Amino acid sequence: MIPYILLQIVVMPVIVSMFIFLMRYKIGKKAGWIAGITLLYTTALLCIVGIKVYQGEIISEEYLSFPMVNLHLLADGLSIPTALIMNLCCVVLAFYSIHYVEHRIEVIYGEVDKKTWLMYYTRFFILFSFFSTGFMGIAFSTNLITMYFFMELLTIIPLYFIMAQFGYSDFIERYKVALMCLFWGIAGATFFLIGVLLAYTQIGSFEISDLHALSGNPLVTWIILCMLLGLFSKLAIFPLHVWMPWVHAEHPTCIAGLLAVYANIAAYVLVRVIILPLYDDFKVFSIPIMVLALITMIYGSLLAMAQTDVKRFAACSTISQISYSVLGVGALTICGIEGGLFFFLSHIMGKTILFSTAGILVYTTGIRDMRQMGGLASKMPITAILWIMGAMMLSGLPPFSTFTAEWIMFTGVFQAGLQGSSTALIVAILAVSAVALTIAYTFWSVKRIFFGPLNPNLPNDNTRDPPALMWIPLILLAVVSIILGLYPKPMMDLFSLVTGGI
Amino acid sequence: MIAEVAWLCFLFPFAGALLSPVLARIHPKLRDYGALFFSFLAAVCSLSFIPYLFNTSRLPIESAFVWLSQPIELKVGVLIDPVSIVMANVVAVISFIIMVYSLGYMRGSPSLTRWWMWMNMFIGSMLLLVLSNNLLFLFIGWKMVGLCSWGLIGFYQKDEKEYWIGGPPPTKYCAPSHAGLKALVVTSTGDVLMLGGILMMYFYSGTLNILELYETSPVWVPEMAKSSGMILLATVLFLAGPIGKSAQFPFHEWLPEAMTGPAPVSALIHAATMVKSGVYLIARFIPIFYYGYWVAGVGEASYFFIIIAWVGVITAFLAATQGMVALELKKALAFSTVSQIGYMMLALGVAGLTVSSLEGGFTSGMFHLVNHALFKACLFLCAGSVIHTAHSIYMNDMGAIRKYMPFTGIFMFIASLSLMGVPPLPGFWSKDAILLSCLETYNYPLFVLALITVVLTSFYTARFIGMIFYGRESENIKHLKQKGAHLGEAHRAMVVACGVLAVIIVVLGIFGLSLEHLLGEVFGYTLEQLHLPVEAVEHSMPHLLVPILSVISVGIGIVPAYLIYFSGKINPEGIVEKHAVMKVLHKFFWNRWYIDSFYYMFFVGGITRVYTFVPRYIEEPLDKVFHVILPSIPGRLSDLVKHTQLERGLLVSNLIYVLLFYIFVLLLILVVVMT
Repeated sequence: MIPYILLQIVVMPVIVSMFIFLMRYKIGKKAGWIAGITLLYTTALLCIVGIKVYQGEIISEEYLSFPMVNLHLLADGLSIPTALIMNLCCVVLAFYSIHYVEHRIEVIYGEVDKKTWLMYYTRFFILFSFFSTGFMGIAFSTNLITMYFFMELLTIIPLYFIMAQFGYSDFIERYKVALMCLFWGIAGATFFLIGVLLAYTQIGSFEISDLHALSGNPLVTWIILCMLLGLFSKLAIFPLHVWMPWVHAEHPTCIAGLLAVYANIAAYVLVRVIILPLYDDFKVFSIPIMVLALITMIYGSLLAMAQTDVKRFAACSTISQISYSVLGVGALTICGIEGGLFFFLSHIMGKTILFSTAGILVYTTGIRDMRQMGGLASKMPITAILWIMGAMMLSGLPPFSTFTAEWIMFTGVFQAGLQGSSTALIVAILAVSAVALTIAYTFWSVKRIFFGPLNPNLPNDNTRDPPALMWIPLILLAVVSIILGLYPKPMMDLFSLVTGGI
Repeated sequence: MIAEVAWLCFLFPFAGALLSPVLARIHPKLRDYGALFFSFLAAVCSLSFIPYLFNTSRLPIESAFVWLSQPIELKVGVLIDPVSIVMANVVAVISFIIMVYSLGYMRGSPSLTRWWMWMNMFIGSMLLLVLSNNLLFLFIGWKMVGLCSWGLIGFYQKDEKEYWIGGPPPTKYCAPSHAGLKALVVTSTGDVLMLGGILMMYFYSGTLNILELYETSPVWVPEMAKSSGMILLATVLFLAGPIGKSAQFPFHEWLPEAMTGPAPVSALIHAATMVKSGVYLIARFIPIFYYGYWVAGVGEASYFFIIIAWVGVITAFLAATQGMVALELKKALAFSTVSQIGYMMLALGVAGLTVSSLEGGFTSGMFHLVNHALFKACLFLCAGSVIHTAHSIYMNDMGAIRKYMPFTGIFMFIASLSLMGVPPLPGFWSKDAILLSCLETYNYPLFVLALITVVLTSFYTARFIGMIFYGRESENIKHLKQKGAHLGEAHRAMVVACGVLAVIIVVLGIFGLSLEHLLGEVFGYTLEQLHLPVEAVEHSMPHLLVPILSVISVGIGIVPAYLIYFSGKINPEGIVEKHAVMKVLHKFFWNRWYIDSFYYMFFVGGITRVYTFVPRYIEEPLDKVFHVILPSIPGRLSDLVKHTQLERGLLVSNLIYVLLFYIFVLLLILVVVMT
């Protein structure tokens, strides 16, 4: 067994990022490759850990053990699949960014001398690596304060700085939206922290494994409520979703997929921190959460239909899609929780593909308005295939894993509906019908962007498929999704190691 | 062994789809024939099941593997029983013939790789659907079929004007990409509702395996009936799927527009895949609901049969009326499909209306499915050739072209006789069986409507045959002749494909009665195995009543059509112009009973209104609250504090502070004294 394997997974990206920073003028354009290969390496480590966990081991490592705060890392059936898929998305986007960032720098900063250019180029990858660290940290940490630390780390370093320096719009607008994103992230994390501190006053510990002691405590409802409020603002549950269209629309598209991960990871936190330890106390929240998720689902779909900007379109669809996983988790049945988490992972893969394809569209045509596109399928067949795959993944069409996830998740939701009150059943039926809206808006976008006669507004000369480095990673990710969709057993077995006890 | 063949049967076309781009790299010819070869293999596999129909004691055969063990246990695999054998043969064999045809039809098309991929995927998905032993894989096939139809209906994705359908102005045109989207959205709406229904049944039954669902129905159906309304709710949700896929009222409006695809696609959708899946699924579920109603005595289960019988007969009638006025050849055929599927639904519906009609209704429905697949495939393929030659989709641009296309004319004539129900062609036998089982339930409204539809069917069938091959030569044909265009038979692959289908139709017609008996036997045996009370069919009606009625109805339909469209003795426009009632009816039918326009207004228009409303009246105000008003609070607070600074020396504000202070102190003293 490789020593410090979990620590390597968490810290390696940051170390490499420091290395890139120190050697930035020497390695120059190779920075993207270095970041990507590092992430590939940590993905390979994750696979090794995954196999061990699948064989029944639980891998935990302990570092920095202070009285209240520590860096204990735990890989079990819940954290490993989550971490693996999240890291996979990071890998794909790292390679995708190699070309994309060049284009962004050219658009934002124009002609600059070589040194400045290298400085900007490497800066992106320095910041980018922090995503992986943040996600892995949240997935593996066993301490609430550590988890909070990684949440804030994600918000401040990669999100704020990448957005502010590589985002869309003009200088002022860019910083404004970055600041908005920062505030929302901090506000959400703060509510979560308040809940954590309240819990500490009751049980005197920040360990997730001690949280079950809260069960039956008079304050527990308030603690859950505080944490939920924080998580909901991250999950963009109506009406706390207002930041999502802004932030997603102005972000550089190469990290937009990770933004979906950033938002949706709260579903994992929800399961790990609240539902698993405090299952019985959480039951009162089940119906309200399902109702809220249903509202958000439909609202997000309608909002997506109203968009004409490809990036905003994808953002609004994220709002709608995240609440599917929340619905499943909120149903509080095993199928619902596991299906909800599986949907989260499937969704981030789909969203990575869809967002990145939106990025390809912007990259090649320089246009974001769907009304000015049309008929692009004949000029960019690969891009069209990617977008259609993204659309299929979002609408839960087989053979992609979203279909399987949706099936398992709705099994759980209907179980909840038929066991419980009629409200839950109505929510279940409405939610399953709402999938039709998703199909409508995703495939409508296919028609608007790619079908029909070629739009005369398009720049004629250089509309063609992007370089292979931009689309091959995405295709590979789609293949992963297909494999998981056709054979979900390993993933579900892993989940069941942890959630099976419910 | 045979189970492995069943796996291969649906895996071959998928493999063909995946290999197409690879083969295309090597040589275009290899790609074309490779695609054909894989669908041929599927057909061979399905044909190898046929011996089992004569040896029913060895059925059903199942082969499955564990697909998921946590959190729910799911075993998935294939199921070979009489129903799936019949369906697999219909799908694979007819699809193969259509593939042969498309070799000629699609010759020279620039996106042939895409074409072969979609076609093979379509066939594979449909085979997966019919061969699956569980509802999960069935649903995967079901969804994939929907997706493939989207890809193929919108195959001409550039929306060139020549591929539009609809019109002539003022009637609206419909572009391929629009039609594809419409089909996908309408059928998917049905699909997701069906998913709800399936999951509700799953909750009570605890299994998705079809055979286990049958076996355990004595337990779970009564259990489900304990909460009142539950079975009805599940039924309604569940039926939305088949009704949507099979284009039945009220989800029937996508099918006429689906004609934007190339002719082989229309043939595939209408004959072998897609619309047949709904009928198949209902046939699969009949034993469960029959058991629930007639054996377990669950009253709500009867709604299943009542709904499909009425939906079927209404659709049959409604679509037939629209078929009578259609001008586009393929659209006339599309209306006919909707109408004929209605017959199948009717048959399956009446299967559960009385205790003794199970076998009769079931068999006649499935038998009609087989026959319809054959003659509709033949009709569509011939129509493709005709449209190809006449360079127009409108029937009034054709006329008297039998002299240019003698073979196609004969093949199409045979197929349409079968559609009308002229003895001894297969359509006659199955339609007769449906009418008989309908009459035996003593449900006269159903029977009368079905019989009227026979009249309408023969009228519109004779009409399109007359308009294409007989009557007077149209201006368009004359014009083409002047230009020296090639007026003649199409590519030989196309003629051969149509010919093979026509021969099969004739052969099946000759052996029609014995085939019906065979099907009756095997289905009866299967149903008996499920411990359902299958009674020997006793014909309480006079033996020849139904055939005579049916032949007379065909005659009533043909005569006016002959006078108008064959001999040209009556001018159709004259009739419509002269009689006000006719004019109103014509307009009503031409506009498809205004159902389509209502849907566009209500659903498309409604959602458009909602989604323009949402950003303006909800999103923007919310955005303002969070991003303008809330952030401004700190600033305003500091303004307020600045405004009320004591140093400003305003007497009033100082006095207020002093007053407030005194009140505070007084209250404090009061509290202390009280306690």
